[in-house]
Amino acid sequence: MHWFQSQLAALNRLADQYARAQRPSASNIVNVSENMRLKRAEFIDAVQALVNQVGKIKGISSCAAYHDGLILARSADVSAIDAFGATVQESARAAQQGAALLGLGDVEQIVIVGTKNKLAMLNVGPLVLCISCRKEINLAAALQRNIAPP
Amino acid sequence: MNNIHPLDPRKSQSGEIDAILRNLMGIQGVSAAAIVDSDGFVTHIQRDSEINTDAIGASVQVVFGAAARAAQHVGHHVTNMVICENAEGFILSTPVEAGFMLALVTQRDALLGRVRFELKETIPVLKKLFSNYLNH
Repeated sequence: MHWFQSQLAALNRLADQYARAQRPSASNIVNVSENMRLKRAEFIDAVQALVNQVGKIKGISSCAAYHDGLILARSADVSAIDAFGATVQESARAAQQGAALLGLGDVEQIVIVGTKNKLAMLNVGPLVLCISCRKEINLAAALQRNIAPP
Repeated sequence: MNNIHPLDPRKSQSGEIDAILRNLMGIQGVSAAAIVDSDGFVTHIQRDSEINTDAIGASVQVVFGAAARAAQHVGHHVTNMVICENAEGFILSTPVEAGFMLALVTQRDALLGRVRFELKETIPVLKKLFSNYLNH
């Protein structure tokens, strides 16, 4: 498993832990509330850290995370935030319809390749991670590079 | 985890409400987080600067009420959240329980999706805390 895949797997684990913390429980509501807050903060902090790290990889133009098409985390150099969000929403809707028609299962990733740039959208728990780069860049190879932690 | 079991549950619930507001204040760009009652009075607040609490309370209730009526006019039924986008930031308000509202004031640099996500995830817990709090 290369660097980015292991990061995604870690994020998915944190998303699962948060989802488990949200399940109804007979415990004291104060303890449940505190646990949910901590698990949510762990997940969101990890998302922001990954977005920052991916944004620094050579060849990657920008990285951002969205929830319901609204910006949730971004690397330092993201422009056209709202356009990204609109693209995420529209693409996700079209992909979900297509996936349902073809029996593909839940959508994991969508890639749009233009003549100049390309954009990858990956589902992570309730969020969508967007990574953009020049068309010529091999995104998989760029994301394999392990970079130093922030 | 909170391993202390206070004798007064209302006190611990009120403390947890304050902890939730402090947590919301930790989000980038959030400058105030408040609970407003049905009369527009602020019952709990966390803020990073001097802010007119009476004005926040009253305006949040007025804006939410107007938005909720507008939603009913167009057949949208229940209003879950109102977002005001202003020149210098956002005001988000969402109902909690028994007329209480959670209101957030942010600066322009706040990430709207981050604030909205946190608000949406927080509301179910706040509803439970409030229903326990009001029933004790």
